[in-house]
Amino acid sequence: MNISVNQVQGRVPVAILGVQGDLDATNYQELIAKATEVYRAGARDILVDLGQTSFVSSSGLVALHSIAVILKGEQPPNSEEGWSAIHAVGRGLGSGAQQHIKLLNPQPKVERVMEKAGLKELFEIYTDLAAAVASF
Amino acid sequence: MAMTQGSILQVAAELANLAVVRHFVEEMATGLKFDCSVIDDMLQAVEEAVANTILHGYHRRPGEIQVEVQREGSGLVVRLRDQAPHFDPTGFPPPDLTLPLEERRPGGLGIYLMRQFTDTVTYRVTSDGSNELTLVKKQPVI
Repeated sequence: MNISVNQVQGRVPVAILGVQGDLDATNYQELIAKATEVYRAGARDILVDLGQTSFVSSSGLVALHSIAVILKGEQPPNSEEGWSAIHAVGRGLGSGAQQHIKLLNPQPKVERVMEKAGLKELFEIYTDLAAAVASF
Repeated sequence: MAMTQGSILQVAAELANLAVVRHFVEEMATGLKFDCSVIDDMLQAVEEAVANTILHGYHRRPGEIQVEVQREGSGLVVRLRDQAPHFDPTGFPPPDLTLPLEERRPGGLGIYLMRQFTDTVTYRVTSDGSNELTLVKKQPVI
């Protein structure tokens, strides 16, 4: 997996994290680490580009939720605890889609994983980069 | 190190081998003429099962995982064997997805997804004392 970082300017600055390859238990912590890095550098809105992400496991879902927590200025939970981690991530996030992390172009099979895990409603999903950036 | 013998792959129980296992299952299932949708679902289930074994079965300690891929009628069948402490994931209760995230009982996300992406999951202890998890995904009848 490779992670690219781009900064674009919409109404607010948006950091785009592009995930290329498989997002699984071997590397999801790299995505959390990269999100932490851009947050510490000042990013407060993150668009995760999943257009070139071929596979997402439950660990990848934990990573996406952890980014939501990081954007709240909190420490992400122990990411090896699956539901426990997402349970903790859910605490304080409130209901409905998150406003500071959004997803771009997930492949249908990736969307399906999110749907089956009952987590899809937590993320706004866009298929157009400009619309995604303008939504923040 | 990975060893293959026919429809069986044996790998060290390391996260680095998750992709090796996925590629093996994909290659075998493709050779067995299953549809992409069936293979994708099985890959998702196998990923969760194997990661669970490495992280929560062996607790990242050294061990082996054996992966066997077969066609049984219309079903793509993957059998996973390991020598971690006995654990039957089929007995793990599913989460209530109607509850808000913070009210869901912790644990079991990988197991839940494994079951969601297969038609049946069965568990047994083999005669040599190994855990054996059998995942079945059926080819839809058109």
